[in-house]
Amino acid sequence: MTRSRETGTLLLTAAVFIVMEIAALVLLSRSATLQNIWINRFSHRVMAFNWRTGENVRSHFRLREQNEQLAAENFTLREQLRRYQEQDRREAENAHLAAGEGRFIYIPATIVKMSRNSLHNYIILDKGSDDGVHPHSGIISEQGVVGVIQAVGKRYSYGLTLMNSFLSVSARVGRDGLVAPLVWDGVSTYRGYLKGIPPHRDIPEGETVYTSGFSFVFPPDIPIAVTQGVSREDGATNSVAVNLLQDFASLRYVTIVENPSRAEIAALEEEKEEAP
Amino acid sequence: MTDAGYFLRLALLLVLQVLLLNFFNFSQYLVIFFLPAAILCIPVRRGGIFAVVTAFAAGFLTDFFADGMLGLTTCALVPAGYARTWILLLIFGADFFDRGEDLSFRRLGFWPVLFAVFLTTLLFMLIYVWADGAGTRPLWFNAVRVLLSTLVSTMLSVFTVNLFSPVRQ
Repeated sequence: MTRSRETGTLLLTAAVFIVMEIAALVLLSRSATLQNIWINRFSHRVMAFNWRTGENVRSHFRLREQNEQLAAENFTLREQLRRYQEQDRREAENAHLAAGEGRFIYIPATIVKMSRNSLHNYIILDKGSDDGVHPHSGIISEQGVVGVIQAVGKRYSYGLTLMNSFLSVSARVGRDGLVAPLVWDGVSTYRGYLKGIPPHRDIPEGETVYTSGFSFVFPPDIPIAVTQGVSREDGATNSVAVNLLQDFASLRYVTIVENPSRAEIAALEEEKEEAP
Repeated sequence: MTDAGYFLRLALLLVLQVLLLNFFNFSQYLVIFFLPAAILCIPVRRGGIFAVVTAFAAGFLTDFFADGMLGLTTCALVPAGYARTWILLLIFGADFFDRGEDLSFRRLGFWPVLFAVFLTTLLFMLIYVWADGAGTRPLWFNAVRVLLSTLVSTMLSVFTVNLFSPVRQ
């Protein structure tokens, strides 16, 4: 009983003190302009502090709602990002088309799967016979030759990459130099060989190797590799080591090169072979 | 000491304080106030509310009659009145209130009473100088003014406390 009375007295004293002090401040602010400005500024600071504190408390309890809003916004942004990525992918595919030549048909494609750690590496593309792809079509990128289509499904196609010991590409050293088959060295992801080089032909280092155009698979003058050192292959021929231009590790978009005259050329060849 | 005796002495001090403020301006660094000590000397049997109201009235009358801003002494003296109970409790303990003694150098010792006067005056001067400057004066100036005024006012307040001390038995 006594304790509660003491507490009541303390509270009452504090209340009287606050009232008296406010009254004194009101008197002071009305009697002097400088003090009036000072007290107003102080009171504004106190109000700002109170509002900020209140706002912080309110924000704390709104965190759940804000999290949900952020999640929804995040979802929308991800959707937009996916749309832009799809648009970029199409533009990248079309860029391959723009780089192509007239008498070949170019079909943009995206790599679905590609192996790089085998002796017989392969590639699967997202275009098939429904898209006009045929077997023995070439696969190129803006960095050079990638491989050759071997089998075609309705929506997908299967091909051998240049990193396959079964694949050989007809290549030319320089724009109008020696023509020789180019094969993978079977070990690294960037080395190959030009085989069957006559020993008397001097192949300088740093020369660019292009597709020869002597097959119905690739158009001519597509850069493939750069020559390195010459080595003796056997007693009659040399081989020239080359560094492939194509970086198979970063490859994602390619262009399928379709030769419309391929069937006609093949028919001619068969006819000629059957003739005595 | 009776309430009438206290208020009589307080009225006398108020007159002295007003005269001091109106006619004796020693320096811009020095302002002398007896009133905080006078508020500290309010009879102990009177509670905090009495002290606060008395401080308000004394401050208001001083402001009203002195050449100054109305409310300046009041807003500094009211906190001193409110702090009076806590300062006495801090220095002299709860027994002091139970005994119902009044403030006296003779009974409570010179230094403890002087320290209580110092604390009350310091609180008063802090608020007075701060409000008087209204944020326009540099900190060092306010600090020097507070220290100097507090020390001088505390020393002069020895006479104030003696004035309010009970008659020797």
